[in-house]
Amino acid sequence: MSAVAAAPVRQRVALAVLNVLPYLVAVAASFAAAGVFIALMGFDVARAYQTILFTSFRNANAFGQTLNKFVPLLLQALAFALPLAGGKYNVGGEGQMLAGAIGAAAVGILLPDLPGLALLPLVLLASLIVGALWAALPAWLLYRWGINEILTTMLLNFVSFSLVDYVATHVWPDPAAGHPTTAPIGAGGVLPVLLPRTTLHAGLVISLLVAAAAYVFVARTTVGYELVATGANPRAARVFGIHVRRLFLLSLVLGGAVAGLSGGIEVAGVHQRLIEGMQSNFMLLGLIIGLIAKGNLAAVPVVAFFIAVLEVGASAMQRTLAIPGEMVFIVEALILLFILLSDRLRKR
Amino acid sequence: MAERDRLVMRGIRKSFGPVAALDGVELRVRPGEIHGLLGGNGAGKTTLMNILFGLYRADAGEILVGGRPAHVRSPREAMALGIGMVHQQFLQVPTFTVVENIVLGTRLRNRPGLDLAGPLRKIEALAERFGLPFDPRARLGDLPMGVRQRVEIAKALYRGVELLILDEPTTMLTPQQVDALFASLKVMVQAGLSVIFITHKLREVLAVSDRITVLRSGRSVATAPRAEATEHSLVRAMVGEAVDVDRSLLFARGEHEAALAQSGQPVRLALEDLSAADPEGRPALEGWSMTVRQGEIVGIAGVAGNGQHALAEAVMAIRPRQGRVRLDGADLSALATQQLLARGLAYVPENRWEDGCLARASLAHNLILGAHRRPPFSAGRFLQWHVIHTLARALIAEFNIQARGPEAQAGDLSGGNLQRVMLARALSQEAKVLILHNPTQGLDIASIEFVYQQLLRHKRTGGATLLISENIDELFLLCNRIAVIYRGRMAGTLKRGQFDAYAAGRLMSGMPGQDAEAAA
Amino acid sequence: MDGWESFIGLARLILLAMVPYTLASQGTMLAGRAGVFNVAQEGIMLLGASVGFLAALRGGSLWVGMLAAAIAGGLLGLALAYFTSTLKMDQFVIGLALFFVGLGASSLAFKLLVGVTLVLPQIPTLPDLKVPLLGDLPVIGPILFNQNALVYLSALVSLGLYYYLYRTSWGLELRAVGENPKSADSLGINVTAQQYAATIMGSMLIGIAGAYLPMVYTGTFTQGIVQGRGWLSIALTFFGGWRPGLIFAGALFFALVEVGSLRVQIMGGVVPHQVLRMLPYLTTILVMIFAFRWVRVPAFLGQTYDREKRSLS
Repeated sequence: MSAVAAAPVRQRVALAVLNVLPYLVAVAASFAAAGVFIALMGFDVARAYQTILFTSFRNANAFGQTLNKFVPLLLQALAFALPLAGGKYNVGGEGQMLAGAIGAAAVGILLPDLPGLALLPLVLLASLIVGALWAALPAWLLYRWGINEILTTMLLNFVSFSLVDYVATHVWPDPAAGHPTTAPIGAGGVLPVLLPRTTLHAGLVISLLVAAAAYVFVARTTVGYELVATGANPRAARVFGIHVRRLFLLSLVLGGAVAGLSGGIEVAGVHQRLIEGMQSNFMLLGLIIGLIAKGNLAAVPVVAFFIAVLEVGASAMQRTLAIPGEMVFIVEALILLFILLSDRLRKR
Repeated sequence: MAERDRLVMRGIRKSFGPVAALDGVELRVRPGEIHGLLGGNGAGKTTLMNILFGLYRADAGEILVGGRPAHVRSPREAMALGIGMVHQQFLQVPTFTVVENIVLGTRLRNRPGLDLAGPLRKIEALAERFGLPFDPRARLGDLPMGVRQRVEIAKALYRGVELLILDEPTTMLTPQQVDALFASLKVMVQAGLSVIFITHKLREVLAVSDRITVLRSGRSVATAPRAEATEHSLVRAMVGEAVDVDRSLLFARGEHEAALAQSGQPVRLALEDLSAADPEGRPALEGWSMTVRQGEIVGIAGVAGNGQHALAEAVMAIRPRQGRVRLDGADLSALATQQLLARGLAYVPENRWEDGCLARASLAHNLILGAHRRPPFSAGRFLQWHVIHTLARALIAEFNIQARGPEAQAGDLSGGNLQRVMLARALSQEAKVLILHNPTQGLDIASIEFVYQQLLRHKRTGGATLLISENIDELFLLCNRIAVIYRGRMAGTLKRGQFDAYAAGRLMSGMPGQDAEAAA
Repeated sequence: MDGWESFIGLARLILLAMVPYTLASQGTMLAGRAGVFNVAQEGIMLLGASVGFLAALRGGSLWVGMLAAAIAGGLLGLALAYFTSTLKMDQFVIGLALFFVGLGASSLAFKLLVGVTLVLPQIPTLPDLKVPLLGDLPVIGPILFNQNALVYLSALVSLGLYYYLYRTSWGLELRAVGENPKSADSLGINVTAQQYAATIMGSMLIGIAGAYLPMVYTGTFTQGIVQGRGWLSIALTFFGGWRPGLIFAGALFFALVEVGSLRVQIMGGVVPHQVLRMLPYLTTILVMIFAFRWVRVPAFLGQTYDREKRSLS
């Protein structure tokens, strides 16, 4: 027993290195591959990577911007990773986010005079609930008839685009805007700024709390255990009395709630209104983050921050060096492929 | 001598990761003989044959077919050499017809056309000649297992096989069907074919083989003509020193009546008029009633696919069912699976990988599956991981599970170790009733012995056991009573002292004993 | 005859709209029949649209564009086959990753070759080809036999795939791979080769389906050009029960919904156009409720086959 007792620390360190190493190699390989491509196009690789990696840390404002980007990415990744723990793929985070944003905007526009103490929680709560409801339809279809959630969640994204367009042009339009946009929400519904002289808003705190709660839920609670068991083998889970389909339903609705909250935070923290196209490509990046983290909820925030840095760097690179920002998207997809590849090679 | 051999395999080695499955095996097969390849599970029989058939690559060793060195890199090359194989799990396409299954992969005359009239005539002629009745136009998935096996054999014959490998061909057959199979094999060897008959059953290998090779943990330990082999010499060769043959329960030839003595103990588990359907909604179990007393092991015999799975799942409320389940007199019919587990019903499913374990989760996760909502594993809504890990470490030691520790992935374990995990989980919950479905299938001899000892220990402490098994020898060895299941109904029962393989076989194939209702 | 005119016009539009659904869905079906569940359609179509448009613009011919789109799609298909069939990695995860690659690569290529401009370059759209004699028939002629080449191609592809799958021994072998690869393998069928061929050919069809969009509808490439047709084609594949004939028939329905909702939008009226734009997606979800209850998918769809993996049961 004494030998066993002495081992863990060193073993854990070795294990941690073994787990992080493939990530570093994958990142390096992706950057190298993309670097060759950038060089072939005739751009300055060194400057490109310098811009990508260090823009976020140049000053407080840039760092604040990065964290503001980190918030929706983290929440979208969680919205994907929570159902993934149970083996289900939520690729409808975009639609759930927009649905949540509509809910948040509705409350913020309809109750403009409420004080912040009341309006802000209501705005966020509305986004949470509407996002959950948006996910409830595919979740219910899966629960009731076993209909593939990948397709239904994805198709509802396209429905949500039209819905946002409708709300922003017919229900509460802002006639002064040149783009489908609603009127602003009441001042009480706006998230406070965390750091003076930056745009960093309090959504950061909320998203970190959600991430912590998601981790505790999956790793420490009995329902979380059942979710993990279901993800590991739904047949065996059912044989041992776990209500597999109920967990599918629960995890998809939870994912929808988290994605909806990301929409509410964007409305309350960034735009103060609903804007068509505000979903950006947060969901796709959220999926990439979730897959790179292999669904590990403890790893998701770390990966999300890294991707946020890349994204902020990518727009800077496009602005200052005229290198298409899509390059970074390719880098991210490559990182994912390399990570998966290293996993596969290790198993051999 | 060498030119007389149709097949020579020499010095064959094969490892899966760190595990050496074969460690220098030698096998020689002559034309016109049935060659028995005997060994316990895990001895390497199937691995050896998969190498011969080109499914696996050997790490070392040489193969001579018809005296010439052969490098078999794929099943196609094996078939070109006249080697055919009937796998234990039939490699068939259930949605195709019998003919389509048989011609699949052969070069039809009008390729790439798909004219099946010629092949159909050839198949019918082969079936007639070797005594393998089946309807070539039927959809394969609709046929019973015994018929599907004949199709597999016809598949090899259609390809002009000279050396036919049969991997555990009798596991899904009744004793009568086994006799018919053996008759077909005799016709084949008279026509000059060679047959390799893989089995772990002594009785069968002695009944049909001309010569016998015994494998033990990846080595060939002996080859002998049948005349020189006795049950005892074969058992010795099979198990070596690992198991004390004379005291082993597994090889007990003497009666264990004392251990199995029945004293009018109270009824522990009562099933009353239990019925359930399969996932497609067809009735799979109809009006099943039986009791199991304290300290009793009751067996369920039957050919695979006759409702055994439905019976186990109906008792455990895993699928919807009608009828009643009582434990020590209390009616538990309304309880859900987790409540039944909490009351002391424990279940070890047949399919360890698909129904029994969370392959992609840790041993700790696996060992509390089903008990995770109960103290001491959880308090309120939260799991107590330190308690779980302590228990997991204790169980790993007690059940001799070969694993790194509670964090090891279940998917990395061998079949035998995984079965120990299943048993550890079932028995650590202080089970009153143990329901096991084919608990020793695919296990090595040491693990089988371990499972049997655990069953007897459970029995001694007054536990009731429902042992569903397709291995009739196992049931004869362990059970107080045996009920035979046929098409979801009880075809009849046998009492200890009246156990007889042929009587059981008649019931298993639905022949009288008791009438199987024509209405169903 | 005004009623006839508008009927003919509508019917022609529906046939036009069928093409991308048919090609993408048949491509999905082909790979699926070999057991490879491709979910990168949206990305492959987008890449096909971008590459097809750019090649047509630079190469001066729509056929060069089609060929380039097929090659681009085939390359993504090759990647999918390599990762899933050779490296035995999860089909859905790889499919998603390739969807990302297609998404990024399509606009990257466009930005590199065209740059950021306000005036988008245009290519000519596909001309109609009149079938001799048949094209002169009343009503049927203009609807069925006076269409662009890809309308004919998609019908031929559907017919050809039906014949291939059910009337040839090659098709029998392909289907066996998707139903039970171990069985196919044990009978000497090269599972990996079949999966590669089916996945690459299927992805080429999906790439062409993507290139069709700029060449028939818009004359140029935009980010939103595919509009979920890739995902819809997966639904269509299920709806068609993974059978070429039913997929072709199902494509008619999908095209009907698309053209119908567009037509009502143009006519205007009380229903806002945003609501009408939701219709194809909502209808598809509705349809899936029915399709999923009877459809039989290839038994090994979405799973990876590893010959030397020791049996799991």
